[in-house]
Amino acid sequence: MKPSVRQLPEVATPFASVAEALNVDQMPWLTELRQQALKQFNSQGLPSKKVEDWKYTSLWGFGQQTFNHDALVHAVTAEQVEQAALLENSYRVVIVDGQFSSALSQLDNIEDGLTLSSLSTGAAQVQQHLGQQVDIAKAGLTALNTMLMKDGIVITVAADTVINKPIELLVINSGATDDLAVHLRNVLVIKQNSKATFIEHYIGLSDQVAMTNVVTEVVLDEAAELEHYKLQQESDNAFHIATLAAKQAAKSNWHTNNISLGAQFARNDIHSRLEGEQSHTTMDGLYLVNKQQHVDNHTRIDHLVPNTTSNELYKGVLDDESHAVFNGKVMVHKDAQKTDSNQKNQNLLLSRGCEIDTKPEMEIYADDVICGHGSTVGQIDQDQLFYLRARGLDEVTARSLLTYAFAVDVLERIPSPEIKAALADVIEQRLPRGGAAA
Amino acid sequence: MLEIKNLHASIDGKEILRGINLTVNAGEVHAIMGPNGAGKSTLSNVLAGRDGYEITQGEVIYKNEDLLALAAEERAQRGLFLAFQYPVEIPGVSNVYLLKAALNAVREYQGLDELDAMDFLTLVRSKLELVQMDEKFLNRGVNEGFSGGEKKRNEILQMALLEPSLAILDETDSGLDIDALRIVSDGVNALRSPDRSIVMITHYQRLLDYIVPDFVHVLSDGRIVKSGDKELAKELEKSGYSWVNEESAGLPA
Repeated sequence: MKPSVRQLPEVATPFASVAEALNVDQMPWLTELRQQALKQFNSQGLPSKKVEDWKYTSLWGFGQQTFNHDALVHAVTAEQVEQAALLENSYRVVIVDGQFSSALSQLDNIEDGLTLSSLSTGAAQVQQHLGQQVDIAKAGLTALNTMLMKDGIVITVAADTVINKPIELLVINSGATDDLAVHLRNVLVIKQNSKATFIEHYIGLSDQVAMTNVVTEVVLDEAAELEHYKLQQESDNAFHIATLAAKQAAKSNWHTNNISLGAQFARNDIHSRLEGEQSHTTMDGLYLVNKQQHVDNHTRIDHLVPNTTSNELYKGVLDDESHAVFNGKVMVHKDAQKTDSNQKNQNLLLSRGCEIDTKPEMEIYADDVICGHGSTVGQIDQDQLFYLRARGLDEVTARSLLTYAFAVDVLERIPSPEIKAALADVIEQRLPRGGAAA
Repeated sequence: MLEIKNLHASIDGKEILRGINLTVNAGEVHAIMGPNGAGKSTLSNVLAGRDGYEITQGEVIYKNEDLLALAAEERAQRGLFLAFQYPVEIPGVSNVYLLKAALNAVREYQGLDELDAMDFLTLVRSKLELVQMDEKFLNRGVNEGFSGGEKKRNEILQMALLEPSLAILDETDSGLDIDALRIVSDGVNALRSPDRSIVMITHYQRLLDYIVPDFVHVLSDGRIVKSGDKELAKELEKSGYSWVNEESAGLPA
């Protein structure tokens, strides 16, 4: 569907003046890309609720906000970084208020075959891939990102290389700049028979209004494997917009896990294209929202060739007046015989005021496939609750424990024990009786 | 230990318990028998503190406290234990986690420190032996995929660990084959002690061959209509509940 064009929102005003700065990289091909994006954004603007993909999510509040695009001096200490990071032992790339900080990053002893650089220095390396996995003509926010992207991470892994240490991209909003908007672009290229683990981690240190708009493009060559985690813990006043897109060659494996805890408004668009036989996508996610939070996860998996598989499990816990949207689309194209795909979305509602809109979708144009999908919405089981209370657990603890028990199978599917444990800690802390459960 | 006085309870406006009187002293084992629909499960639920019942009259005193004023977890922390007729499956919560949390809840109430991991494990292992359960059950989800017999043994395992003052066993024999019944009964018998009281709620006399009660009560239509010793259970077995119902028909409503 063509995105509906509407009057350019307030949000665009400061961006128009950025047009002259499109040559910031002094790379003609990149300037050209930015100019195209500007043109696209000016013609389509932000999507309105009339667009099916944005039916349940309004960008109105976002459009009302005027953002700053230049960060003041950022004051984040090494201790704060240490505290914010998910993993102790990792290659750590730190971006503070939209800018790569080499001083705060931890990039010693990089294994052979791995290159890590910030977008500002690494863009040329991935010229042939940058902008290829996303379509600026279809998504206004991606066009916006493309014209304004300033930093991010570029990762390449050479062929036949297993990178043992995980790579954590830690994106910190310090709160030092009012209403700061940050546009990040990450590009990962994993060559054949190689393997890496990547964590995108977004965190806010204050309750400042802020916007993060990130696009992550992933290229998996033959038999490449990527464990790809995303942990979003931004402030209660943050707008978080993320697009993740991967193309997968034969026998490749993209394992995604998307945990959304923070932000007043979060939208994730996650898309995999299974272009080679025996490739596989795991698309998992967990959202825990409360107060007035809004989280919208749109996922799409395209099975384009025969013998590909995908497995998707998204779980949500909603409290207070929060609102969540799940829209998962699996497309099985005409030639994609022997596709095996399973998609599930399960939700636990903890209050009367919350709302979930869930829409699992499958479009199947091949006739020899195994496909299943479904969604559920439920509440805390009263019999389970009584059982725990009859064993002496107070009601708050018992509810937290049952909530954790509901969410835990998303964690159970995580391959790396270290990351599983770290994320389990984060989830526990988020529950009402943080740390008391499990 | 426990004193139930003229207890009336309703659910959805329908009166199920219609004046129960029962005194259980420390160390005693009581059996409450009765036909389906007599109010047996209502009685155990009301004592354990399940929501949804309205107490219209009467009181329950447990260790000199007003039991009915306490939340379910407060009753558990004070040593009241209900062995469920239908133990609930809780996938995602490991059995060992629940055992530990339950024990620590009781210990916290008693002003004791939490047991450290090693001491806890040693303690749990000794209790597993009592109910002949394999250690692998510890890391499974609570009752998840357990057979009927395993669920009931798991209840007795919890009881053995928590060492309650008052245990209410709700239809603990239901769904057990003869071997499982023996294991469960042996477990309960091992827990009999002068300062622990046990109330068994059962439909069948069979259980009482294994756990011999000091007193037997017949519950019918929401009231205890007959009390006696273990011989009463045998009489019931012979003549059925209709015999009691006929005898009690003359009682004032």
